[in-house]
Amino acid sequence: MSFYGVPPGITNPPAPLPEGEDHHEKTTGTLVLVFVFLAAFAIYYFVNWNLLAALWQIG
Amino acid sequence: MVVGALMVQWAMWSGRADVMFTSYVPLKAHWSYYLGIIFFAVGALVVVGLFFAALVVAKRERTYEGSIPLVTFGGLTAAIIAVVTLGHGAAIFVPTFLWSLGLIDVDPGVYRLVFWGLGHPAQQINLAAMVAIWYMLAGLTVGGVVLNEKISRAAFVLYILFINLASAHHLLVDPIAGSAWKMWNTSYAMYLAVLASMIHGFTIPAGIEVGQRLRGVTQGVFGWLRRAPWGDPGFSSLALSIVVFGFVGGITGVTFGTAQINLIAHNTLRIPGHFHATVVGGTALAFMGATYYLLPLIFRKQVAFWPLARIQPYIFALGMLVFTMTMTFAGTFGVPRRHWDISFSSTVYDLQYSPAVDLIMGIMAVGGLIAALGGLIYIVITVWSVFLGRPFEMESTLTTEGGV
Repeated sequence: MSFYGVPPGITNPPAPLPEGEDHHEKTTGTLVLVFVFLAAFAIYYFVNWNLLAALWQIG
Repeated sequence: MVVGALMVQWAMWSGRADVMFTSYVPLKAHWSYYLGIIFFAVGALVVVGLFFAALVVAKRERTYEGSIPLVTFGGLTAAIIAVVTLGHGAAIFVPTFLWSLGLIDVDPGVYRLVFWGLGHPAQQINLAAMVAIWYMLAGLTVGGVVLNEKISRAAFVLYILFINLASAHHLLVDPIAGSAWKMWNTSYAMYLAVLASMIHGFTIPAGIEVGQRLRGVTQGVFGWLRRAPWGDPGFSSLALSIVVFGFVGGITGVTFGTAQINLIAHNTLRIPGHFHATVVGGTALAFMGATYYLLPLIFRKQVAFWPLARIQPYIFALGMLVFTMTMTFAGTFGVPRRHWDISFSSTVYDLQYSPAVDLIMGIMAVGGLIAALGGLIYIVITVWSVFLGRPFEMESTLTTEGGV
């Protein structure tokens, strides 16, 4: 059931999960996103060190 | 709080308080400026007290069993951080108020140290509340499950214990503190709070993925994302908030927490680029998403201009992404923060920027305008819904099995 002007999470909430069952599932997609985040972090972090080395040259 | 805010505004607009947000001693403003801040803080403390009182009443009325629900636990975390923050505010603004009246002296070094116990944690209150809202929206919109409740609660506790120590990064270039103190707080203690954010940043998307897969959305690696309700402003706000907060605000913030890198970034536009991504792009966006659920659930009103509400999070997030990333780029080229004239035209020295700066600043302005448009749409929708919106009479259909 949908209701104009009301988020679907209220009018058509997610189906309840079966009780008593084992709720283990793979999180492959999230794991891929984690590595994308890690790569973005590493690139940004080391670019900053490179920038620092360029601006504050030693010797 | 209103009286305090008006006093501060009056002091600033009448030219009696040209000391900016930090109001570092010995820069002195009119006493009404400090008193206004104290009034505002007292009001905020009363609000936090009301939250604690609501928890006691809820417990007494047996509205839940066992420990308080995870989302409320996140709210409690925010409230505890708020008390610590306001305590620091009282510890420094009451003496500074007396100093402005000429009654006592205040040491500038002590002021800077204690001030940042208020200045930065004031944003961490929003942060903890934002994470609580992430869990709430994940449960309401797609039935996201909580992977491990103890881990999530422990991550909130890490916020309480360590996030305020991250305030030390404001003093990384300040001679008041020694290197050991700076390094411990910003390169060790702070990372325990960062760890908490990374736990939440993993468990919430993973909880959404598991929730989707358990309901039969099992296609491919990202089928759970493709088939998510992207037209639901609650979900789009949640997803975009996590992306803007984590990828732009989080990565830049942790990087700036490194002392050596802080030296080249501290007084540039890179810092506002970071905190606009966290506080505006992340926090405000999550609160906007929550609003679209609170309007029918609390105010019992339909969300006005619904088609516009469905795209509002995208407009705001796009604007903030452009705005914050270009702001960060501009800072990388050395554009300063907190200065009305970045070319320093009235000074004796000649300062030249890369020609790219003009282009970057222009794009930054466009991003800011798009974000402001998104913010304006949100305000119009919310105000219209509350005061002129159609009533929502339907009985609550919220499932209690949503995982939150």
